Amino acid sequence: MEVLKEKVEEEEAAEREEAAEWPERMEKTRPAEVQKEETIMSQEMLRDLERKLSEIKVPIPAEPPAVIEDTIDISNLPPSYKTNTPKEQHLLQVADNFSRQYSHLCPDRVPLFLHPLNECEVPKFVSTTIRPTLMPYPDLYNWDGCANFVSDFLTRVPLPDPLKLPSHLYSSTTVLKQQKGNCFDFSTLLCSMLLGAGYDAYCVSGYGSQALCNMDLTREVCPLTVKPKETVKKKEKAQPKKYTIKPPRDLTSRFEHEQEIKKQEEAKAQEEKRRWEEEERLQEAEKEKPDPLHGLRVHCWVLVLSGKREVPESFFIDPFTGRSYSTQDDHFLGIESLWNHRNYWINMQDCWNCCKDLVFDLGDPVRWEYMLLGTDKPQLSLDEEEDEGLNDDDDIEDLDKETEDKSFDMPSSWVEQIEISPEGTKILEIKEWYQNREDTLELKHINNSTGLHTDYFRPGHPQALRVHSYKSMQPENDRVMEFYETARVDGLIKREETPRTMTEYYQGRPDFLSYRHINFGPRVKKLTLTSSESNPRPVVKITERFSRNPEKPADEDVAERVFLITEERIQLRYHCRDDHITASKREFLQRSEVDSKGNKIIMTPDMCISFEVEPMEHTKKLLYQYETMMHLKNEEKLSKHQAWESEQEVLEILKLREEEEEAHTLNISIYDTKRNEKSKEYREAMERVMHEEHLRQVEAQLDYLAPFLAQLPPGEKLTRIQAVHLRDECLSDFKQRLIDKANLIQARFEKENQELQKKQQWYQENQVTLTPEEEDQYLSYCSQAMFRIRILEQRLNRHKELAPLKYLALEEKLYKDPRLAEFLKVLQ
Amino acid sequence: MNRIYNSVEPRVMDDDMLKLAVGEQGPQEEAGQLAKQEGILFKDVLSLQLDFQNILRIDNLWQFENLKKLQLDNNIIERIEGLENLTQLVWLDLSFNNIKVIEGLDTLVNLEDLSLFNNRISKIESLDALVKLQVLSLGNNQIDNMVNIIYLRQFKCLRTLSLSGNPITQAEDYKIFICAYLPDLVYLDFRRIDDHMKYLAETKYQYTIDELKHQEHVRQTKLEEKQAQQAKLEEHKMAFVEHLNGSFLFDSMYTEDMEGNKLSCLPIVGELLEPLTYRDKFVIICLNIFEYGLKQHEKRKLELDTFHECVQEAIQENQEQGKLQIASFEEKHLLNLSAIREESDLPSIEKKIVECSENITELFNVLMTLEMQLVEQLEETINMFERNITDMVGLFIENVQSLYPFCNDLENHHHEKLLEISISTLEKIIKGELDEELPDDVRTLFVDKDTIVNAVGASHDIHLLKIDNREDELVTRINSWCTHLVDKIHKDEIMRNRKRVKEINQYIDHMQSELDNLECGDMD
Repeated sequence: MEVLKEKVEEEEAAEREEAAEWPERMEKTRPAEVQKEETIMSQEMLRDLERKLSEIKVPIPAEPPAVIEDTIDISNLPPSYKTNTPKEQHLLQVADNFSRQYSHLCPDRVPLFLHPLNECEVPKFVSTTIRPTLMPYPDLYNWDGCANFVSDFLTRVPLPDPLKLPSHLYSSTTVLKQQKGNCFDFSTLLCSMLLGAGYDAYCVSGYGSQALCNMDLTREVCPLTVKPKETVKKKEKAQPKKYTIKPPRDLTSRFEHEQEIKKQEEAKAQEEKRRWEEEERLQEAEKEKPDPLHGLRVHCWVLVLSGKREVPESFFIDPFTGRSYSTQDDHFLGIESLWNHRNYWINMQDCWNCCKDLVFDLGDPVRWEYMLLGTDKPQLSLDEEEDEGLNDDDDIEDLDKETEDKSFDMPSSWVEQIEISPEGTKILEIKEWYQNREDTLELKHINNSTGLHTDYFRPGHPQALRVHSYKSMQPENDRVMEFYETARVDGLIKREETPRTMTEYYQGRPDFLSYRHINFGPRVKKLTLTSSESNPRPVVKITERFSRNPEKPADEDVAERVFLITEERIQLRYHCRDDHITASKREFLQRSEVDSKGNKIIMTPDMCISFEVEPMEHTKKLLYQYETMMHLKNEEKLSKHQAWESEQEVLEILKLREEEEEAHTLNISIYDTKRNEKSKEYREAMERVMHEEHLRQVEAQLDYLAPFLAQLPPGEKLTRIQAVHLRDECLSDFKQRLIDKANLIQARFEKENQELQKKQQWYQENQVTLTPEEEDQYLSYCSQAMFRIRILEQRLNRHKELAPLKYLALEEKLYKDPRLAEFLKVLQ
Repeated sequence: MNRIYNSVEPRVMDDDMLKLAVGEQGPQEEAGQLAKQEGILFKDVLSLQLDFQNILRIDNLWQFENLKKLQLDNNIIERIEGLENLTQLVWLDLSFNNIKVIEGLDTLVNLEDLSLFNNRISKIESLDALVKLQVLSLGNNQIDNMVNIIYLRQFKCLRTLSLSGNPITQAEDYKIFICAYLPDLVYLDFRRIDDHMKYLAETKYQYTIDELKHQEHVRQTKLEEKQAQQAKLEEHKMAFVEHLNGSFLFDSMYTEDMEGNKLSCLPIVGELLEPLTYRDKFVIICLNIFEYGLKQHEKRKLELDTFHECVQEAIQENQEQGKLQIASFEEKHLLNLSAIREESDLPSIEKKIVECSENITELFNVLMTLEMQLVEQLEETINMFERNITDMVGLFIENVQSLYPFCNDLENHHHEKLLEISISTLEKIIKGELDEELPDDVRTLFVDKDTIVNAVGASHDIHLLKIDNREDELVTRINSWCTHLVDKIHKDEIMRNRKRVKEINQYIDHMQSELDNLECGDMD
């Protein structure tokens, strides 16, 4: 009988398992049955059942895990992936031992998640699969950034069996490469990143709610619908003035209004009621499917303990969604074990109330059974529990001892360095800042997604450019140019271009033009092939707007004029008077028709349709209209020309910009003495001048008397006779020197002369036999000699002239010399 | 004066001559044809040239209201006349005529360029109205007195002056004199005045010029002071309490009061009129009224300003709405019109036209509703304002009237005392006890009791009358001001309303006729 019952239950369990695999289908196909079951089975019964079922050893179907189906190229993986080092082997043995003891001590608990197979089908201990890595991206420094990255980057793959631990746990590198994984893969990666970033993070293997395991957020409030708290803007209403007019009287019937309100209220109430009912139903419908596998679904998430990185309170992170949950959250239904890269802990606390009563004091061996001793986790800090803990389970102590004996360090991770390459990421924006450019470019902003380039200029560009945004440098494309309007004669602020239009905005013009819009037609193909510059696009329409000219009456001040060039029409709209609501309008039709007699019609009343706010006499006259039209025709020509000029300017600017971009010349500040060539030259010249000046000064300080004074015994005071003697000596010496110099020049002069004469004699004697080359030589020698003689002559003459002066100058100087002055004065 | 005047028959400026001139000088070619076709109105002419016409007398120019430039040179005109209507004139050439006196230019306030070259003028005068004068040509005339130059100092814009060929130029320091007295002048006798000359002139005549400047300055300040005073008085008048800020009323009481004046010669009466007695008390009451009046005036002004502001705001808002409506309508209308033009199917055209005209009617209704709303709102506001302002005025009058009796009381009190003193004096005189000498005319009053009582009574009556008159004046004036104000506000509002309605109608008519034209065009 017992066996039979078990069998029945087994069947039921299988059925449920099946149902859990296709929850949606089950919901659709057999909702009634489920409901029935629900009503029959209570939580206690389920728990009971669970226990019973866990006792029954159902052989695990040797079904290959889903992930294996994806071909993973294991050939390129490093050897650490494919084999186990002795230390790892040892660790695995320890783990097996630990597992055995655990199953012995706690036979009613499911086996631990200790050493699943990796992608190379090699068993690896879970802690070694965690590879703490600090990512080089500032965005991934905080836990929320990491969590969001993991949840966004990876795609969730459901566990092959939602009720069982997976058989495989891949390395994070493989997971990143594949960009998908189950909750264990997610958690391992996230935990690696968080540990790297300095958090006290753990992978947690336990049980989650259905929504959590299926990454089902339908029950959550959509973050987009959560409105940010409306900042209550209390507009300070201006105190209504005494004579502020009252709003127009409400002439609708109050009774009707009330009836209407009543009706609306009724409708509203009904609507409300219906909605409420609907909601109720919905809620019921939503509520009415408690998970039959509640508390059985295996899930893996991350626990971050407080303490490190200024985390004030421990919390969970669901790796699928990247959301954080408090440890009290209803979604987390139980914890089997948790681990980080150092150690592995088993939860010894009861999870009857989900995780709400759990204490995450991992140093407490009563609550958390650790696998390896000698971790950095503090030993239990609460001594009140100690006795209890000791008395609680002797076996656990044994277990402890065993591990203690084999006090053992966790081997380093077998996983390769986790790398998240920014490959595949797109550069969306580039901003480049410049300085000292001659084209005054300051900032270049390139938006890659739109292809929009925006250049910003400082004041001083030759074309007064302020901002230039474009998609291509080709003319007649979308572009916007902004200008420093004060630097421009025409007051242009902005010019916008599209392939068919050009819009210009002006400010501060004497003619009050503020806006010009030009529509271009398609370019007419000329028969003769000409370049685009000589074949401008035909202008179809020009719209010009003017701001109000206070000197003119409003009826004569044109606000807008439109030249419809192809239609030969001109439309004028005048400014509106201050106390009016309508503005005058005028429309001219340009026709050059010929009347019945063959005379050219100059002007007819129907060529000018006008509406005047205040009809005036003189504007009715044809003459006035004719003159206005003639004037407008002229203006039209001018505007067309202006359009052409604008186009030319755009071309010019584009050309200039291209040249500037290529040239890359820099502006050098006048204070930059190293780079500024001009100032450098100037400075060097100045230095040279200074140097020469210095030399001259040194020369000027030459002491004429020094050699003569040296002859005298030092230290003695000069006597008068000595002084006179000194002077005479100095003078005579100078005279001698002058004479010597004159003689020297004279001697050289004579020598040259003699040589020349000799040569001449020689020439005259040998004139006949001379080769032309020799003659040339002679002639060149002659000219050179003559030149030298002339120079010497000049020098001699100059010397003769200057010598007496120099002599006198020296004499004067000696008189004034402070050392001799007193004696010589007396002498005089 | 090279021309012979008598050899040519003088001509009269008649219509034909003017027409001819206008025709000849009017637009040419195509425009000329049009002009001929239509005819040119004299008042549209901006420039007229009538030289070498042997005109003796300026006439028939009154139609040229907008004339800017008039050339009458080389005629035989003897008097400047008939230019009164040409107020827009900027440029007037009367050179080579026989004018002797400058006159008849008093209305030409816009004149900037005046040429009286080669005439017989001997004195610069009658140009005071020409405040914008920039160029003045008076060459070849008979001006011989330097004083004429000083007359030209009042023209602040004068930059060019020509006096060559006048006797005045014979004076040796002619140029320097002119430069000194007309420092803003740039061209003299067709030449630019250089800085050196200016410097010379400045130094030479510095003293006299400074004196002149000082005089002018003093005159200017006096004028300003007077204006300021006038303005203040004007303000007081607006508050209806003018001349109450002093003893003016009290003084005026005594100006016509012969007996009172005589009596005040009495020693004890003189004491009565001493400060801190009757007169001072009286003035204090006047001052009270004055202060109160000014305060009330401020209040009324504030009220009026708020009212105007609010009304303006309301109108502005209404206009904005109207403009918006029209703009949206026009956008739609234009689309519709172009659609009609392109449509070829007759029934659908008609349908669209109907739609268009419906739109127009709708616009009309909307605009008119807006206007009617505004009218109602404004009416309410105006009525409220009227009530308030009337209340204020009433309060003011009431308070002032409660202050005036104090004056009367004072006067009565004074009267009694005066009577007492007079009688006692009379008794003294009769008894021959009066030790002081009295002037004869005063003594005549003290003949008997009746005379003196009558005299005192007359004085009293005059005083009371004055006080009452002042009170009455105040009350009537403020009342009339109030009614005028309210009337004006009502009238303005009505005008505004009519104007807007007219504007709307005009616009709608235009739209409708445009549509009709289109219709006709399509039907053809």
